[in-house]
Amino acid sequence: MNAASPVSLVLKNIVQEYAMPGGKKNRVIDDINLEFNQPGINMLLGPSGCGKSTLMTMMGGVRPAGVDSPTSGTILIDGAECNDAHDDAVMVFQRYANRPDLTVYENVAFPFRLALWKKKLSKSEWQQRVEEMLKAVGLSDKKNLYPAQLSGGQNQRVALARALALRPRILLMDEPFGALDAQIREEMQQLLIELYKAWPCLIIFVTHDVTEALLLGDRVIVLSTQPALVADDFEITEARPRSSAWQRSTEAVKLEERILSKLHNASGGRGAVRVSI
Amino acid sequence: MSLWNPYAALTSGQRRGLGLAAVVLVIAIWSAVSGFGLVGPVKLPTPWSVLEAFAYLAWNDGKSLLLTATLWSAGRVAAAGVLVIAIGVPVGILMGSAPKLNAFLSPLVDPFRSAPVVALLPILVMWLGIGETMKIAFLFIGAVVYLIPMVRDAIQAVPQSYWISTRDLGATHWECVIKAIVPMAMPRIADAIIVGISMMWTYITVAEYVNAREGLGQLIQNARRFSAMDQVFAGIIVIIALALVTYQLMLGLKKKLYPWETSL
Repeated sequence: MNAASPVSLVLKNIVQEYAMPGGKKNRVIDDINLEFNQPGINMLLGPSGCGKSTLMTMMGGVRPAGVDSPTSGTILIDGAECNDAHDDAVMVFQRYANRPDLTVYENVAFPFRLALWKKKLSKSEWQQRVEEMLKAVGLSDKKNLYPAQLSGGQNQRVALARALALRPRILLMDEPFGALDAQIREEMQQLLIELYKAWPCLIIFVTHDVTEALLLGDRVIVLSTQPALVADDFEITEARPRSSAWQRSTEAVKLEERILSKLHNASGGRGAVRVSI
Repeated sequence: MSLWNPYAALTSGQRRGLGLAAVVLVIAIWSAVSGFGLVGPVKLPTPWSVLEAFAYLAWNDGKSLLLTATLWSAGRVAAAGVLVIAIGVPVGILMGSAPKLNAFLSPLVDPFRSAPVVALLPILVMWLGIGETMKIAFLFIGAVVYLIPMVRDAIQAVPQSYWISTRDLGATHWECVIKAIVPMAMPRIADAIIVGISMMWTYITVAEYVNAREGLGQLIQNARRFSAMDQVFAGIIVIIALALVTYQLMLGLKKKLYPWETSL
């Protein structure tokens, strides 16, 4: 694999409101401004329900039916406003990632059955990519199984393989490992580090796990809740994989304290973040 | 093991044994009631006279009335079945996939679920005459008014998250419907088809009530006219058996076509 061509992703004055019963408006995102210009793993950290997922679907250009999203503000990719589904960004979700009616292989190959990708890649090209990605996530021997026959971690491997087979410039990950138990989550975090090394693209990774943010992030953006605001935004220069010694270092502990205090101040104690051991 | 546990697992032997016991019990009561003359043979024939009638219908004088009738009825169900699938499934898919189409068409479809379909028969006779067209149209209407809403519901039961993730991969709206939503709804659509076809077997006697020269409905109708209750019973039992066999075959086919559904 060669590297993804650089991409610029800009969120400008993003506001999201939902109509409440009784005509009131609930502002869940209040004037968020963010800029991403280079490959890297960017962690969006905030308590559950703070509007992170809404932000992600906006960036992916896909919105649930019946919601104007965003209410105001613009998202620019390479300077161009993006309002609809686009093929610069691919998403990985926490759940419902894979099609139950398709085998592992068919799940990874599914995008190439769509007109958009058929145009771009020949059959032999995409078949090679699919095999390559299955190997990269260690599922070559399970390619004829259905998702229901796989564990949660294996299912997320399939989702990662499908997303990266498209060689995206932007990878949007919405709490991808949030539903996995601790040991599997660690395995998946290591896998992501390896996959990122092979395909360094712009990753936006939503999590409510402080430890995960410190383990993976080149940059950590802390969001408050109700409404979501950028409460903090800093970089971590420590190279990955980050040893457990580093995780216990003064630097890491200080960063953790910094995040927790920002969250506490911003949200007035509402919401919850997790610190895993 | 307590009787009252909805989740208790039965062995297939237990299940079959208990099912068989129920059938044997009914036949025993039936034999007793009819055999001891509690109810006259005109109202309730004995099981063995039904068996005799069955044998007579199955083979007499070098021909099988039963086979001919069965083929005719099965042919009508098959013809109407093909129509129901060819029209009902696409219409249901379109209604399920496009809320505007659903809003437009559902007043024309949904009320008929509670309409007395049998009462439509005289109207169909007026419009379509007393030939095959009328019979097949009747079976078709009887089943399609149930099938369309069930197919629509099957489409709408697919979680929206699949729509979002498929859109994200670059699918057009139509591709989302055709390549994601419909394939995932297929097992439930198959269930709808099974219900629809099974329903036709219950309507077949009504469809063949009017001017049928052949068919199981006509066979029963004729026998009733001559007060041959044993033949009426034999005919009804054959229809039930055919409906059961069709049901099992379709269920087996569904499991074969969608192996992923049972493994969920």
